[in-house]
Amino acid sequence: MAEAVSKVGIISCSGEEIPEGTIARQAVRRVLEGLRPQQTVTLCLPLFLAGEAGERRFASAHPTITVDGCDKLCAKRGTEKYSGAVSASLVVTDILGGPAHGCHRSTRNSDTADEQAVWLVAERVAAEVDHLSDQGTPAEASEDFATNTGGARCSCGGPSPGGKLAVNGRSVTIDGLPLIFQHLQRKGLQPGNQSAGTLLEIVRVYHPIEPHEEAEYREALVAAYCAHCERGSKS
Amino acid sequence: MGNNGQKPEVLVIPCSGVGKVHGLISREAVYHVTDKVLPGQADTVCLALLVTGDAEARQRVQETPCVTLDGCPKLCAYKNVELSGGKIAKGIRVYDVMKRHRGANFGTATALSEPGWAVVEELAAEVAKVAKNEVTV
Repeated sequence: MAEAVSKVGIISCSGEEIPEGTIARQAVRRVLEGLRPQQTVTLCLPLFLAGEAGERRFASAHPTITVDGCDKLCAKRGTEKYSGAVSASLVVTDILGGPAHGCHRSTRNSDTADEQAVWLVAERVAAEVDHLSDQGTPAEASEDFATNTGGARCSCGGPSPGGKLAVNGRSVTIDGLPLIFQHLQRKGLQPGNQSAGTLLEIVRVYHPIEPHEEAEYREALVAAYCAHCERGSKS
Repeated sequence: MGNNGQKPEVLVIPCSGVGKVHGLISREAVYHVTDKVLPGQADTVCLALLVTGDAEARQRVQETPCVTLDGCPKLCAYKNVELSGGKIAKGIRVYDVMKRHRGANFGTATALSEPGWAVVEELAAEVAKVAKNEVTV
């Protein structure tokens, strides 16, 4: 039987009491919006209890990754109790190597510490999405959950906002490119030729770049990053 | 426990919906209440803990008046607190406050815009009104 890859489901704990809950939520959003928008879908964890049978089929319809803020593992336990076995269970404190010191519960107070933590967790989740996508899932499990549950799916799987790059005259879409640029700009990466190495290194985490294409991507990324920074300074 | 280590007099619980801006507004409104409007008197509980049936979380919602904030008609916060045997003082729907700002761009499920933060503050004021009847001022 031919293998088809279903969208990977990602379920975050709500974690209102702790900063790690907000990090889990924001990291999941980043993967859904920017890093892997075409491959991922989500559902609110509390919907398993408040919702209907359609919502409870989520984990059986998708290979599912849970992202928990702490070792109480509510997302994993809740998903397994009401929906089905999860394919991977990630915990923010494990990824960060301990509690998220200096991070905040409210996004209003978000600063560099929060931003770094969210990026670390998002990148780990994206890597797990790639791992599950590479494994593939049976074709009959790849039905579109959104169409079969009356729109119960959260509307997070939209295309990446403006991640296009002109490489040697052709247009290439890179998931999450604006987010990558934003992140590097906040980290203080100056536009110009000296940024090429860093840009190439980060972008190739999310987008395959063959060795013979490196020079073209390098040039295109430098130009696009300069344009991004210029736009930022004007606004 | 509340921020000052005392037992909170009201629990404010959002749906934290991850798919739409409404969920983020509900979550931020709770932090506005617990951190700014009623610090020490209001606290929150992880809704996911209630979903998993955590005994301590259930006991907290059963012993303390709760205000729930829901972003969509599925009313996840309200229903989960109710299913846990919680004392619901009021269930507030985010949409009812957003309606006052018809046509505004509230931001996204990741980041709120200024109108989004305005709704957060209005929701917090609604919670405070309810809480006045529940907390010892």
